[in-house]
Amino acid sequence: MMKKKWGLALTSVLAASLILGACGNNGGNNEAASNNAGNKNGNASSSPAADDKIDTSEAVKLKMIMLGPKPADYDQVFGEINKQLQEKVNATVDAEFLDWSDWGQKYPLKFAAGEDFDLIYTSNWAQYNQQALKGGFLELTDDLLEKYMPQTWAAMPKVKWDQARINGKVYMVPGNQSTEFTDKLVLYRGDLLEKYKLQPIDSPETYKAYLEAVAKNEKGITPYGLEASDSKTHNLDKQLLLQKNGWNMLGDVPLAYKVDDPKGQVFNMYDTPEFKDLLAYYKELADNGGWSRNALTNKGDTTGDFKAGKVASMSHNISALGGIMAFVNNEHPEWKPTLADLSPDSKKSEAISTQNGIAVHATSKNAERALMVVDLLQNDKTLHDLIMYGIAGTHYEPVGDNQFTKVVDKFGNYNTFSNWAWNSPLNRVDTTFPQAAQDIQKKWGTQVYHYPLETFVFDNSKVLNEITNVGNVMLRYGVPLEYGLIPDTAKGLDTLQKQLKAAGIDKIHAELQSQIDAFLANQANKG
Amino acid sequence: MTERRHTFWRDIVKYRTLLFMISPAVLLILLFSYVPMAGIVIAFKQFDYKGGIFGSPWIGFDNFKFFFQSGDAWRVTRNTALYNIGFMVLGNVLQIASAILLFEVGGKWFRKLMQSALFLPYFISWVVVGSIAYNFFSYDVGTINSVLTSFGMERIDIYNTPSYWPYILLFFHTWKFLGYGTVMYLAAITAIDTEMYEAAEIDGANVFQRIMKVTVPNLAPTFIILMLLAVGNIFRGDFGMFYNMVGSNGMLFSATDVIDTFVFRLLMDTNDFGMSSAAGVYQSVLGFVTILTVNYAVRKYDKDRALF
Amino acid sequence: MSEVAMKRKQKDKLLLDIIGYVVLIALALICIVPFVIILSSSFSDEEAIRMNGYTLIPSIFSTDAYRMIFKYPDDILQSYAVTITVTAIGTAVGLFLTAMTAYVLCRKDFKWRNHFAFYFFFTTLFSGGLVPWYLLIVNYLDMKNTLAALIIPSLVNVFYIMVMRAFLAGIPDAISESAKIDGAGDFRIFMSLILPLSKPALATVGLFLALGHWNDWYSALLFISDDKLMPLQYYLYQMLGNLDGMRKAMLGTGGVVDVNIPGENLKMAMTVVACGPILFAYPFIQKYFVQGLTIGAVKG
Repeated sequence: MMKKKWGLALTSVLAASLILGACGNNGGNNEAASNNAGNKNGNASSSPAADDKIDTSEAVKLKMIMLGPKPADYDQVFGEINKQLQEKVNATVDAEFLDWSDWGQKYPLKFAAGEDFDLIYTSNWAQYNQQALKGGFLELTDDLLEKYMPQTWAAMPKVKWDQARINGKVYMVPGNQSTEFTDKLVLYRGDLLEKYKLQPIDSPETYKAYLEAVAKNEKGITPYGLEASDSKTHNLDKQLLLQKNGWNMLGDVPLAYKVDDPKGQVFNMYDTPEFKDLLAYYKELADNGGWSRNALTNKGDTTGDFKAGKVASMSHNISALGGIMAFVNNEHPEWKPTLADLSPDSKKSEAISTQNGIAVHATSKNAERALMVVDLLQNDKTLHDLIMYGIAGTHYEPVGDNQFTKVVDKFGNYNTFSNWAWNSPLNRVDTTFPQAAQDIQKKWGTQVYHYPLETFVFDNSKVLNEITNVGNVMLRYGVPLEYGLIPDTAKGLDTLQKQLKAAGIDKIHAELQSQIDAFLANQANKG
Repeated sequence: MTERRHTFWRDIVKYRTLLFMISPAVLLILLFSYVPMAGIVIAFKQFDYKGGIFGSPWIGFDNFKFFFQSGDAWRVTRNTALYNIGFMVLGNVLQIASAILLFEVGGKWFRKLMQSALFLPYFISWVVVGSIAYNFFSYDVGTINSVLTSFGMERIDIYNTPSYWPYILLFFHTWKFLGYGTVMYLAAITAIDTEMYEAAEIDGANVFQRIMKVTVPNLAPTFIILMLLAVGNIFRGDFGMFYNMVGSNGMLFSATDVIDTFVFRLLMDTNDFGMSSAAGVYQSVLGFVTILTVNYAVRKYDKDRALF
Repeated sequence: MSEVAMKRKQKDKLLLDIIGYVVLIALALICIVPFVIILSSSFSDEEAIRMNGYTLIPSIFSTDAYRMIFKYPDDILQSYAVTITVTAIGTAVGLFLTAMTAYVLCRKDFKWRNHFAFYFFFTTLFSGGLVPWYLLIVNYLDMKNTLAALIIPSLVNVFYIMVMRAFLAGIPDAISESAKIDGAGDFRIFMSLILPLSKPALATVGLFLALGHWNDWYSALLFISDDKLMPLQYYLYQMLGNLDGMRKAMLGTGGVVDVNIPGENLKMAMTVVACGPILFAYPFIQKYFVQGLTIGAVKG
C-alpha cells in the first residue's frame, strides 16, 4: 500500500534494458584499431602532466558516476588507475556505480539533490539533452577543452564536438571512435537457407522467403526473434524503412528527412507510400507466422533463444551480432550463422558522437582536473587499456597493440560498466570477433555518407507535450499495426494517422522544420 | 475570545497524557510527510537545477497539459477507478469469506496450513507473476492453448484481445492479496466476544444464521475502514501489476491503461519531474474530493464509523 | 436443546464443513501451484526452461541459480543481517507507536481525535513526490547510507494506524472507564489493559509491518549505496537487474561470451530466497490469530 505513492517514479528493469538494447554498439572495431597504428602519441612520456603551466600541486579526489554494476575487481583496477593518475595529474578517482536496474531513477536525483560529484557518464540515450537543458552539466568551452584536454582536442574531429552541441554549447566529451555504426543487419542460419535451397539473403524479399520457409517447415523454431523492448517502431523498421530509403528519423517521432536532401525537407514517415508497402510486407509475414503472435508482450531473451536454436534469425547492430555469431560458431558450427545486410548498397551513416560520453557536473569544484583525467583516460595508451579492459594478463591478454583476447572467467569481473565513454582510436579489437563482421564493417567504411544535417540536434523543449503524446500513439496504434495484429491494415493506418494529428504531430513537424531551416541557413552563412 | 483560549489551554492540560502519547507519530508524520509536501509546487514550475524547488520559475498549469492533450485522460481515469472498485469489492468479499470459513472449519493444523498457503502469492513479485502468466497465456506455447489444442479446440489469442484482460487482472490482484486480507479479517473475527455466539446459539440460530447475524456485522468496522482507506487511493493504479502483466502491449491499452501506466509511458523518455508531479497532484485532488464525499456520507450514517 | 435442534445443527455444521473444505482447499491450490512452479523452476536448468517453459517438476535439475545467488556468501549473509535488523527494530518500535497512536485516536472522550485522524489521513492522499523526499533525507537529515534511512521514515504507516484503530474500537469503552475510576492514568491503561487485550490485532499489524520492512527495496534503492548496508531484497533486485544489463553489455562488446548466465531460474530462486525466512517464521506468529481471545472473560 505504501509503495503506490511512488508508482509514477518507478522506471523498471525493463526500461533500463530497452535503453541498453539501443546502445549496445560500443564494440571495438577494425577501422578504429587500424587507424591507431600511427597514432600512439598518447603515451605517458608525452602526457600533459609535464606541462607546468597548469598547477596540479594540490592533490584532488574526483568523484565519478558510471552506469552499470560495480565491478568485482574494482579496487584492483582502479587502484592501478589511481596510481597512474596521481603521478600524472595528482588526482585520484572514486567511482560510484548506478546499477542497470535503477540508474534511470537515480540519475536525475543526483542532479536535483545537488550531490557532490565531478564526472558523470552521459549519452543521447542517458538523459544528455534533458540534464543539459536543466543546467546539470558544465558548459565545455573551447578554451577549457584546449587548455585542459590537449590530446583530446587534437585527436577529436570537429564534427564530433558539433554533434554534442545543445543550443550551440558543448556539455560532454564524446567518445572518439573513428567509425562506429548504428546501422542494423540480420543474423540467420545458413544451414536452413541451404536446406530449403533459398537464395542468399541480401534484400527484403529474399529475407521474407527465408522467414516464410522456416515458418512453414520448422515446427518449434520462431523465424524472427524480437528484441524485448518498449520500442515505438517495428524491430525491422530501421533496416527496411530508414536504412533502405536513406532516411533519418528524428527525436523518436515518425518524422524524417532524406539524408541527401540539401533542403532537409521533413516528412511524416507514416504518410509515405514506402510505409504503406512495408505494412503489406509485414502483414503477410505476420499472417504466415514470421514472428510470434505475442510480439507485443515478448518476455523472452532473443539472443539466448538464437543461441539455443529456438529462433532462426534476429536483427541488431554489427558488433552485437558479431559476438553472437562467434558464440554460435563455437557451439554449433553446423548452423552456419551468417550476417546479411538487407540494403547492401545504401548510404551508411556514422553513429553520432553523443552515443557515449562523459560530462562534468555543473557544480564540480575540480572541473579542470576532471577534464585532465578524462583526457588521459581517453588518450593515454596505458590508462586507456586499464579503464577499457582491466589489467593485462588478469582480465584480458593484449595481442599486439590493437587487439586483445578476453580472459574468459575474469573479463566479466571488471567489464561491467559504461567505460565506453572513453572509446577512442586506441580501442583494441577482440581477436574472436568474426572475420565476416569485420569485412562488413570495412565495406561500410567505404559507404559512409556525410551530410549537412549530420550535426543537427532537435531541441524538443517547446513541443514536449506533443512529443510525449505522439510517442504514446506510436506504441498504441503504430506498433500493433506494424506487427500485423490489426486485421484491416488500411483502416489501421487511417486510425494511426488520425490519432497522430490529434496528438499534435503537425506542431512538432513545423517546429522541427523551422529548426532545420535555421540550422541550414546558419551553416550556409558560415560556409 | 479569551474564554475560548482559556478552554483550549485547559483542554491541553486535560489531555496532556493522550497528547504526549500521540506526539511521536505526529512528529514523524510532520517531518516525513508534511515537510516534503511543500514539493508539490514542482507541479506548477519549470524545474531546473539552478533554481531548485523554490527558485525555479512558475508556469501555472503547463505541466498538466501533456496529460489532457490526447483526450485519453478521461478513459484512463475511469479505468483506474473501475479497476480499483473491482479489486476492492471482489477482494474484500473473498477475504471475508475465506476468513469466516477458516475460523469455522477444521482443526488447528488445517487452519495453519491454509493460512500459510493463502499467503504465498503475497511474496511473489509482479515481475515473476508476469512471467508465470506469460507461460500460461502465450499464443504458441502457453499452457492454456496447449490444453485447448489437445482437445481439438481453437487457440485463443489472449495477448491481443483486450476483453479478457479486466478479468485476468481482477483474478491476479485478488489472488495476490487474498491471504493478506484474510489475516486481517481473521484478527477481527477472533476479537468478537464469544458470548455473542453463545447467545445466538441459545436463540436457536443455525450456523449460517449465526454467521450472518453475529460474525458479518462485527466485521463491518474493519470492512468500512479498509474501504475508506482504499477510496482515497482510488485514482492510483498499482503500477507494478499493470506494467508487469501488460507491459507495452498497445493492443491491450484500451482495456488495461490506468493513470500510472499511461503517465509512465508518456514520460518514459522525457523524465520530467514537473510533469510527473503534476500527474500525482491530479490523482491526489481527485482522491481527496472522493474521500471527502464518501466520508461525509458515512458520517451522516454513523458518526463513529467515519475516518475523521 | 431438543433432539431436532441438535440434528439440524449437525446437518448445517456438516454443510458448512463441506463448503469450507472445498472452497478453502481450492483457493489454497490456486495459491500453492504457482509457488510449486517457482520452486521447481528455481531448480531447473536455464536452457531447459527456455525450451519447455516452466514445469511442475524440473525437467533438468540444476542448482546454478542458487549457486549464483550464494556466489558471495558473505555479502548475502550481510544483507540478511541488515534486513533482519531493520525488520526487527522497525517492527517493534513501529508497532508500539502504531498501537499507542491508534488507541488515542479511538478514545471517544478525546476532543481532537477527528482532527488528528484527518491530520494523519491527509498524508495518504497527498505527497510531495520523489525529489523533495530525497532532498529531505539526503541533504537535510543526512541519512544517506545509514540504517536510519531504512527505518525511521517508514516507522509509522498511516494505513496501519487506521486499521489498528478499527480493531481497538471493538474493545468496550467500559474497560477504560472503569480503570479510570480506579485512578489509572491513560498511559497505564494502554500498557496494562489495552495491549494485552489486543494481541490478535497486534500480531496482525505487526506481521504487516514486518512484511513491509522485509520487502522494502525502494528506500534502499534511493538511500543506500554502501555494500555493507544493503538489505536482502535490494541485493537480489540489483543482482537481477545487473545480470540483465551485463548480458546486454557483453552483447555490445562483441566476441565470444561463454558464460551461461542464469536468468529465468534465477528470478525464481530469488523469490524463494527472499521469502524463505518469513515463511519459516510465520507459523510461530500464527498462534496469536488462530486462537481467539475472549473479551467477555476479562469484562466479567
